[in-house]
Amino acid sequence: MDILPSEEEQMLKNGAREFLEAEISTAMVREMELDGLGYPPALWKQMADLGWLGLALPEAYGGQELPLTYLGLVLEEVGRVMAPVPLHSTSVAALTIASDGTEQQKQDMLPAVCSGDMILTWAVYERDPRLIPEAMKLQATADGDGWVLNGTKMFVDNSVVAQRCLVATRTSPKSDANEGISLFIVDPNGTGVSQTALVTLAKDKQSRLDFKDARIERAALIGEVDQGWPIVERMLDRATALLCCQMVGATRKDAEMAIEYAKNRVAFGRPIGSFQSVQHLLADMILHVDGGMMLTYEALWKMDQGLPASVEVSQAKSFCNEKCESVVRHSQVVHGGIGFMMEFDLHLWFRRVTAWTMRLGTTYDHRARIAAALLDVPGKVRLGMPLPTAV
Amino acid sequence: MDFGYTAEQETFRQDVRAFIAENVNQSLLDEMESGEEGGRGPEYRALVKKVADLGWIGISWPKEYGGQSGSRLDQYIVEEEFMRLGIGVGGAGSGAPAILAAGTEEQKEQFIPGMIRGEVIFALGFTEPQAGADLAGLQCRAVRDGDDFVINGQKMYTSAAHYATHIYMMCRTDPDAPRHRGISIFLIPMDTPGITVRPLWTIQSDPPAPPGTTYGMARTNETFFENVRVPASCMLGEENTGWYVGAMGLNLDRVGASRYLISVRRDEDIVNWVKENDFGGHSPAEDPAVRDKLAELWTEAQVCRLMTMRSMSLVERGGTFTYEGSAEKVWAPEHGVHTTEAISQMLGPYAQLLNGSEEAVEDGLFAHNLMGSFQSGINHGSVQIMRDQMARRGLGMPRG
Ligand SMILES: Cc1cc2nc3c(=O)[nH]c(=O)nc-3n(C[C@H](O)[C@H](O)[C@H](O)COP(=O)(O)OP(=O)(O)OC[C@H]3O[C@@H](n4cnc5c(N)ncnc54)[C@H](O)[C@@H]3O)c2cc1C
Repeated sequence: MDILPSEEEQMLKNGAREFLEAEISTAMVREMELDGLGYPPALWKQMADLGWLGLALPEAYGGQELPLTYLGLVLEEVGRVMAPVPLHSTSVAALTIASDGTEQQKQDMLPAVCSGDMILTWAVYERDPRLIPEAMKLQATADGDGWVLNGTKMFVDNSVVAQRCLVATRTSPKSDANEGISLFIVDPNGTGVSQTALVTLAKDKQSRLDFKDARIERAALIGEVDQGWPIVERMLDRATALLCCQMVGATRKDAEMAIEYAKNRVAFGRPIGSFQSVQHLLADMILHVDGGMMLTYEALWKMDQGLPASVEVSQAKSFCNEKCESVVRHSQVVHGGIGFMMEFDLHLWFRRVTAWTMRLGTTYDHRARIAAALLDVPGKVRLGMPLPTAV
Repeated sequence: MDFGYTAEQETFRQDVRAFIAENVNQSLLDEMESGEEGGRGPEYRALVKKVADLGWIGISWPKEYGGQSGSRLDQYIVEEEFMRLGIGVGGAGSGAPAILAAGTEEQKEQFIPGMIRGEVIFALGFTEPQAGADLAGLQCRAVRDGDDFVINGQKMYTSAAHYATHIYMMCRTDPDAPRHRGISIFLIPMDTPGITVRPLWTIQSDPPAPPGTTYGMARTNETFFENVRVPASCMLGEENTGWYVGAMGLNLDRVGASRYLISVRRDEDIVNWVKENDFGGHSPAEDPAVRDKLAELWTEAQVCRLMTMRSMSLVERGGTFTYEGSAEKVWAPEHGVHTTEAISQMLGPYAQLLNGSEEAVEDGLFAHNLMGSFQSGINHGSVQIMRDQMARRGLGMPRG
């Protein structure tokens, strides 16, 4: 038990910060909000050269096979500078290929991911935006040796630039044996798939994907037919914890800006940071970012250990949703009017953190999951010890 | 980052549990409930002695003074397992860290082994009628007279004073120096002539809290000092540095199992209660609003635990605190309040029933905690003062 970063972890984090702060300016972030691709390919290539795209992927496919916590530290720094790169969506899909893909799928995709030649994404959300099997309506119908997809996926990250997308589909109605969900690898720019850009608070690249008789081959299946839901759940858990890292990184930077501003902005003849009501807002901001950070890394650490982590993931996300939102809002308050102005950079963080609270599970969704684990399985609970498990 | 315990630590925890199962019995718990001698009667003292003989108290304190020079985390495991039963067995919150850090050789030898065996118990004499949050305004005077000091004044809320063997107190030794630079700390036997202790009964005294109530207390005291003469060797640290010695000691004392466990015990209790009980066939656990709230509180409680683990990690690394101790001291008490207040809304009218009443839930535990929970946000540095410290020391904000 030593929950602070180790020397090696701190070095990686410092290195990531140094690189990202040197390469990424808020001017670039603003530019990419208007850019068709939404990311600078040259920067992506540099990140590949640094080994970050394969940080937690197996060595056999060009990765570094480091723990997820390491990837989390990099994503925290990515969030800090709001780096406009498709690292989150690519990592989430690639990790699922690494853990659940076939040998062929791994060979086809992972080396290309590591070298920066393949961008990935994932598509689970539908019009009913609950991330549960019941909401999966997109139909995959067996057709000869493959399947045909019909339906709609929502809020798909970076699909404009992704070569592959992991799509959760319905292949059967729910049965006693399984949820009837299958996970496929699809080219989001291929025939039968049309993309409609969504205009988001974070000005990131999200799309609606409409599938109309989109054909996929047998080799595109991840895992077994109808048995894809546990794979999807693991993917979502990783995605959620890694998104929390970005949230924590962005939120801490946002809070630091408020701290600096409070030291320098003068009102009533003194720095506003000398007013106790402002000081206490700032103290709360730090409590909240720290809390979100510790919950997040505990979740990632548990995944790295192969321990059950879905409650920890839900703890992290429900907490980050509420508290990160509160921090960036308080930071706006500390900044007064200027924080509300387009030309001032603060809103870049505010809009992203706020948008991230809405993705990958709302506060209510995650608390429902925690409550089910606490209340619906018999046996006494004790904080800091594993929860009772169903027999 | 490592959020787990080693195999050795897990085994050690099992050993502690086995010891507790064997040695903590109903008559001990009854004695503690009676509140006599502050709940530290013969049974309690015998238990502490046994635990001390095993070397389990003050594990992280130096060997030469009766500790084990061991890991703070092992000490924490002992504290945690005993605190689950509401039994404090020394360690955090005792004043020992300050004595170890600032005491003379004689003082360490005089007090630490006794504290470990439960034979030396300190009351804390900081607060005065006119100096609470603004502690540096304290007026209790200690005047040098040859090799002695003579103390006159009054201390408020000296909680353990009616059963303590000693008092760890702050006095003004230089009234002309700037406020923070004229204070010294003294370690004084309670049986020194001129000390009078008068009880102050708290809102939790009638009826006294049921066993296992981790919040609050039925009795505290005010303590009067009238020409109390003590040798200068009772002083802890250099003359007029008491403010800094005290602050350092308080910060170290904030780390540890007790604060966090005090604040999260009720989270476990309420979850376990609604899982196994109902009112007239309906369990609050079926209510979606209750479920949402319990999940929120559970998550907050995890943050209490992680803040404690963070402080523990810092101590183990020999690092220095900037704001982490104060952060724990804001988060844990406020969380405790959130939980106890939420429990009232979950149990509705049952939550008002005190121990002794027909129909009381868990012997009135939850009602008692509602009265007690907020006080841990006042004592040992109020949450407002803790936030001041976070902002000023942690974030470098200018003073108002
Ligand atoms: C049950 C119990 C046990 C205790 N045990 C002990 C003990 O063993 N030994 C001991 O020495 N003391 C003990 N205390 C005393 C405790 O530490 C004090 O009550 C505490 O320091 C607050 O002092 P006060 O009560 O004089 O309140 P005040 O100092 O009068 O404060 C009243 C309110 O004003 C707020 N306030 C004061 N100054 C500021 C400021 N600058 N900014 C914002 N808000 C401010 C405080 O936070 C508080 O909310 C105990 C208290 C209780 C309730």
